[in-house]
Amino acid sequence: MSEFDAIVVGAGPAGSSSAIKMASGGLNVLLVERGDPPGSKNVSGGILWGKDLSSIIPDWEKSAPLERYVERKVTSFLTHDSEIAIDFKTKKFQQDKTGYSVLRTRLDGYLARKAQQAGAMLVTGVTVDSLAMKDGKVVGVINEGETITSDVVILAEGPNPRVAISAGLREKPNDKTVAVGVKQVYKLPENVINDRFNLRGNAGFAGEYVISFLPNNVFAGGFLYTNKDTISVGVVINLETLRKDGKTHSFDIMEQFVQHPYIAPFLEGGQLQEYSAHFVYEGGYESLPKPYGNGYMMVGDTAGFSFSNGMILQGMNYAISSGILAGESAIEAKKDNDFSEVSLSRYWKKLEVSPAILDKKNFRGINSVVWSGLVHRTIPALLETSLQNMLYETGAPKKHLSQILLKSMSSTGVSSKDMMIQGYRLMRRM
Amino acid sequence: MVLEIIVMVKQVPDSQEVVIDPVTMNLNRSLTRNVTNRADENALEAALRLKDSVGANVTVVSMGPPQAETTMIECLARGADRAILASDRFFGGADTYPTGLTLAATISKIGKFDIIIAGEETSDSSTGHVGPGVAEFLDIDQVTYTSKVEYKDGYVIAERELEDGTEVVKVPTPVLVTVLLNSNVPRRQTLRRKIDAIRKGFEVWDHDRIGLQPEWVGVRGSPTIVRRMRPIKERERAAKKIELSAVGDLVKELYEKNVLKLEVDS
Ligand SMILES: Cc1cc2nc3c(=O)[nH]c(=O)nc-3n(C[C@H](O)[C@H](O)[C@H](O)COP(=O)(O)OP(=O)(O)OC[C@H]3O[C@@H](n4cnc5c(N)ncnc54)[C@H](O)[C@@H]3O)c2cc1C
Repeated sequence: MSEFDAIVVGAGPAGSSSAIKMASGGLNVLLVERGDPPGSKNVSGGILWGKDLSSIIPDWEKSAPLERYVERKVTSFLTHDSEIAIDFKTKKFQQDKTGYSVLRTRLDGYLARKAQQAGAMLVTGVTVDSLAMKDGKVVGVINEGETITSDVVILAEGPNPRVAISAGLREKPNDKTVAVGVKQVYKLPENVINDRFNLRGNAGFAGEYVISFLPNNVFAGGFLYTNKDTISVGVVINLETLRKDGKTHSFDIMEQFVQHPYIAPFLEGGQLQEYSAHFVYEGGYESLPKPYGNGYMMVGDTAGFSFSNGMILQGMNYAISSGILAGESAIEAKKDNDFSEVSLSRYWKKLEVSPAILDKKNFRGINSVVWSGLVHRTIPALLETSLQNMLYETGAPKKHLSQILLKSMSSTGVSSKDMMIQGYRLMRRM
Repeated sequence: MVLEIIVMVKQVPDSQEVVIDPVTMNLNRSLTRNVTNRADENALEAALRLKDSVGANVTVVSMGPPQAETTMIECLARGADRAILASDRFFGGADTYPTGLTLAATISKIGKFDIIIAGEETSDSSTGHVGPGVAEFLDIDQVTYTSKVEYKDGYVIAERELEDGTEVVKVPTPVLVTVLLNSNVPRRQTLRRKIDAIRKGFEVWDHDRIGLQPEWVGVRGSPTIVRRMRPIKERERAAKKIELSAVGDLVKELYEKNVLKLEVDS
């Protein structure tokens, strides 16, 4: 007999959600996290979109450490001198919240505690070295040569899942499946943040930026989120173009972003609290691994369930929802006392009709557009030149918009045919 | 009869993880987490080595708030047999005097003991009072500044690190020993042991259980009065950028200014 019904490797949002689900369902669960306390390895924060926590923590909107709800969402192009943005604000998000900014050091601690309260055993400060295998089946985890057994192991290691990779359950991350993220947190008084972002009360700002002014064709996006009295800011850098360039350092890109004339004023006088780098998983539908097998399931970033389309960067929500579905599957498998691959395929059936998979499917190939010259160079340059030409009073009679566009296209070196083809692709993928 | 060893530990803010703001060069305390005082980890390791070599029953005692739980579990996971946390709202705000008293009273309540081992000092207050204080309250001998502790036939043989050498002393038990920071390498906690430690659990004793009056402990029992605190002004430093090729010149300059001394091995 196994010592535990389930062992969860990693107490990020995926692992803890899964542990909460299973422990509340009566399973005997061990949750292992190498960080001590949980969250200490996952510094900084982001926006938690959606309401996936509701099914496991009904009062989460009251009890979780949420910073601000998103009321103002900016999607923006930054060129060297300019910013061109869509600035969407709606009172509708006051009543029905769509997302909250969170700080991971706090959120991860909260979720791990919830798992403990539900009855899971939480062990922190210990790294799982590998999986214990017997007759082609996962039968537990190994640490310092000692095996702890369980009926099922939930792998929730995040975007660089060493245990899953070394067991041959999925591929190593590569330049196509991960980007590198650099983040900083700045401390500023709450009222200063409210003034700078034109916010009131608990309302928050979430901005996503295309950073189009980097030298040598390196592609990167930026983000900036308001917390109560801190600002999370960072960049996500495409590894293919970074490597091709070979000269630019990711930290320099971060510096250039926070020093941009329309970003720097937001952060002015802020005290830098955290600085970290992390992988962002962004492989497409094609590169998803099979997330289950004999005696194991993979959840969250380990299974490749995060998503970015340039407008939005999501991962925590899929981490939570996939964690819950894996938990549900484990509870059902326990009833049948069958943790074989066939039995755990129920997890895949649940996933297939959930956003974790459907979003990947529907936005298949989005990466080739998000990380394209069209989005990162052509459109921003074209918009900047056109707006500039349109707004510039020369004293002469005004030109027609189409003339301005054509002139801007020729000065930025874009053919109208290119524009049509790429534009069509963009629309289709979005 | 098996040797009874008591180890005194304290949870402190992690001094190794102190975050310095790169812009203002200020300390950021909001991000520091709590850990077991490092010298106390050396104290526990010294006890566990005695347990390995001559056999012993190791009990960990600590005075602290409920969140010291993680330190208690950690000590059990490293190999302690029992852990007792003296925790009570009356204990709050204690200086080193009632802290020593509380720990001494807790140890008396445990019963018979042969050796008490403590860290030399804590990284958050650095007084070094508590170990010797406990020895005085219990009216037993004490050996401080030790780097090595052994036991043979009713005697502790300890090596003391002094400024000009090492002193080896032999003291009959019961005795209290304080050990130096980094005097050994604490053993790792494994997943197996952590699981077992959590299952075993630790005890929480309040003032009543220990047999202390509220007015003897905590703030009320503390003779120290903090009048005033002031930050220390930072000294201006002549910051200088040095190219790798100019390191030779720098060494020469420091030597000429008598900052560096040349020592020739004979
Ligand atoms: C710069 C950046 C910005 C982002 N912004 C957002 C955002 O705004 N919104 C959003 O939804 N998502 C965002 N994401 C993505 C999001 O962070 C991830 O999708 C999410 O954290 C995945 O959760 P997870 O639980 O799968 O993995 P993780 O959060 O990575 O957690 C894995 C945990 O497992 C532990 N662990 C790993 N290996 C072991 C082991 N062997 N033994 C024990 N413990 C182990 C780790 O310490 C960690 O705590 C962002 C990511 C980055 C890098």
